[in-house]
Amino acid sequence: MDRARVFKSILWTISGLGAAALATRFLIGLGSIANMNDAVPWGIWKGFNIFPGIALAGGGFVMTAIIYIMGREEYHKYAKVSVLLAFLGYITAATALVTELGLPWFVWHPIIYWQHHSPLFEVSWCVMLYLTVLFLEFVPVPLEETSRFTKVRKFLTKYKIVLVFLGIMISTLHQSSLGSMWLITPEKLHPLWYTQLLPILFLLSAIAIGPIMLILAILVISRIYRRKTDNQTLARLGVLSSFMVLTYGLVRLIDIGANGKFAMIFDGSWQSAIFIVEMSLMVIIPLILMGIRKLRNSSSSLWVASLSAVIGLGLDRANIAGVMLSVDGPRYTPTIFEVLVSLSIISAAILVFLFCIERFKIWDSKWEDPREDKKSRPDFDRSSEVWLGTPRLAGRTVYTLIFVISLAVGFAIIPGKRIYSGGIQKVASQKSLGGDTLFIDGNRDNYGVNFDHKAHVIRDSSCVLCHHMNQPNDKQSGCYTCHLDMYQRTDAFKHDWHANPTGANISCTECHAVDQERLASTAKACDQCHKDLIPPGATITVDKYMAPSYTDAMHFLCVDCHKQKAVELADKSNLALCATCHTSEHTDHFVDGVTDKYKHPYFNHVVLPENRPTVEGH
Amino acid sequence: MKAAILTDITKCIGCLECVAACKEKNNLERDFPRSWHKNDGLSAHNWTSIIEKPEQHYIRKQCRHCIDAACVSVCPVAALQKTEEGPVIYDPDKCMGCRYCMVACPYGIPRYDWDKPAAYVQKCDMCIDLIRQGKQPACIEACPTNATIFGDRDQLLAEAHMRIDNEPDKYINKVYGEFEVGGTSVLYVSDIDLEFLSYPLKPGVTPLPDTTKTAMKAVPPVFVGMGALMGGIYWICKRREKLQGEKEGDKE
Repeated sequence: MDRARVFKSILWTISGLGAAALATRFLIGLGSIANMNDAVPWGIWKGFNIFPGIALAGGGFVMTAIIYIMGREEYHKYAKVSVLLAFLGYITAATALVTELGLPWFVWHPIIYWQHHSPLFEVSWCVMLYLTVLFLEFVPVPLEETSRFTKVRKFLTKYKIVLVFLGIMISTLHQSSLGSMWLITPEKLHPLWYTQLLPILFLLSAIAIGPIMLILAILVISRIYRRKTDNQTLARLGVLSSFMVLTYGLVRLIDIGANGKFAMIFDGSWQSAIFIVEMSLMVIIPLILMGIRKLRNSSSSLWVASLSAVIGLGLDRANIAGVMLSVDGPRYTPTIFEVLVSLSIISAAILVFLFCIERFKIWDSKWEDPREDKKSRPDFDRSSEVWLGTPRLAGRTVYTLIFVISLAVGFAIIPGKRIYSGGIQKVASQKSLGGDTLFIDGNRDNYGVNFDHKAHVIRDSSCVLCHHMNQPNDKQSGCYTCHLDMYQRTDAFKHDWHANPTGANISCTECHAVDQERLASTAKACDQCHKDLIPPGATITVDKYMAPSYTDAMHFLCVDCHKQKAVELADKSNLALCATCHTSEHTDHFVDGVTDKYKHPYFNHVVLPENRPTVEGH
Repeated sequence: MKAAILTDITKCIGCLECVAACKEKNNLERDFPRSWHKNDGLSAHNWTSIIEKPEQHYIRKQCRHCIDAACVSVCPVAALQKTEEGPVIYDPDKCMGCRYCMVACPYGIPRYDWDKPAAYVQKCDMCIDLIRQGKQPACIEACPTNATIFGDRDQLLAEAHMRIDNEPDKYINKVYGEFEVGGTSVLYVSDIDLEFLSYPLKPGVTPLPDTTKTAMKAVPPVFVGMGALMGGIYWICKRREKLQGEKEGDKE
């Protein structure tokens, strides 16, 4: 196997796996594959694809500036490849963005709904414009292959300088605005990264590392296609960039010093360690390797320097866009599927990049793998439509096979249950005496009543009347735990678990009548299938699909009492004492005064059975 | 009138009637515990919640409806807007789901429909429709102890200060929301520290949108300036090339 084919096969595999995750995301929702949450709304796609992607694509505008505006002809041979790299970088970022947006089909909304205070509004406008500019800059290259559209091609080539100017102006704006986006998060973002200079730092680093990304790309593809590189020109470009790298490093350090945060760099926290790693990768290593004359002309130091700078920049953007933001809530670790989507978007972009290199005149000649045997491609004899056979499996066949298989594998390994509930959070049973008598602390203030549990069991002969079905064996909790549990949104019935293919996978008509509207109220009751739900001989039935909740275990909702008594009693703390409400031996009057407890259809949806036991008998 | 809400933590009994009323009024779905929920009870289907703190302290969490709101200033499509009445409201028809508002909000209020293929941002709108009809928000209506009350912001501020002055031993001498991030429409008086509501931000007195204002104002001059700078360099380089060409021409 040759190098190019192995490389492409790997890319196709990743793309296939990622495509499966991507499809799931669009069909079911972000939660199905991503670990992003309410506390960390932006995940790895922002920190790994979008922010570094745009920064690394900065090579496009920097190189066009160097070549067309400053007239540095020696880099002219890299003009097309830098534009292509930038174009694909932006496409990658845009794809990741579309994946990440909750409503990706409205990605064009900033065009019609203006909000010029938002840095993101400006970024989205600039990215849309710059994508157009890059497209117009690049499109003459594929057009060379066809004899049509020559007028368009000539027009675009003639007015290239206009596009170059526009490209630079637009890029300056949005590269810096990506930094402005984080100005709104002071104190959330770690102080070593947060500064008023963020927009300037973002722009400087993009200008510095953009061309270095180009060097890396050229080194990589030269290796894949076994081409010789012009190390001297690349090294000279490296020196040019290292001036910008130096500027960036100085501005950043001076800013940190001026804000009095210099000591934080060496305070030994993990953030400071990452900061040192980041600065070494992005600034120090490239500066050493490209600054020293002896080192810079060797191919290996170019490799190390460019790789280190690119990883450093990626780390910087990932830190700002995620790692260094303090989180109040569940912490974020990307799932394997988020990582796969991330990598697959990049893999697909590299495949397009390689395609362009092979098909179009990016350089003076098209690059093809020297070992690629053209004659080995399968073919029909067109005249007789006879299959001429495959002496060796052709690239296209192999890649298709690889993609389809990895797509299937991808779908197979996505856990279907991720999207559904994580289950009810168990609340520890505290403060309960257990057994025949329970200490019930309904108002949660350590004033409680002793509840004759045994008497209730005998009378009601059912546990579910008081105990919610999600904790069927929980017979000793005090009201404290139960009420708390209720407020954590308990619900006994899980529609998804019944109907979903990854759940019980039963058909709709098993519970809903065929000719009826499919409502919860008209569906089959639980105990029609779950026969042992209600203990034999119980006096109650489960009304449709809901069980009585914990709230019904005592005194209805505490509120009713409060509402009623708040008028009479000024001090609320007295409400916790039994005697405040229980003025007589019988509690009938209390029940009479209770207002309609079924008034909340969405919250704690509970319907008690008709023939529920009355209080009188007690 | 600038609509506002004042919540008195010492009066709240943690009954969650406001939560129930909110769910009913806004037709919010029943909620399951999800891996993406924060531990504060708020979610895409719970726009207000009660946080329980030791010694019978119940803190109602909801959107603070900041006077100069970060979410409003960062939304790229103006889906979030500060209304004249006071509430910050959300227009799902404009939203594209970028979640920048969630990143920017100093109180971590906006929540997301993570399990929907078409997902929207969800947050309290202070029952703007009821306010426009001259009524009170549903949560206020539901509160049995008047722990949370509705009214004009200035009057509520006066009321809050009056309560603190009347019982200085009971309350912390601070109206939460009076000055933080430029002031919020939802105010708290409390006997315990409520800084945790805005963790990790220690809210200063400047509105957050001010942080990006300078950068955003610089956009047009930078655009023109960069063009001019590049034009200048282009002109110089071309001229140098031309002169060099002439020189070489002379030599020949």
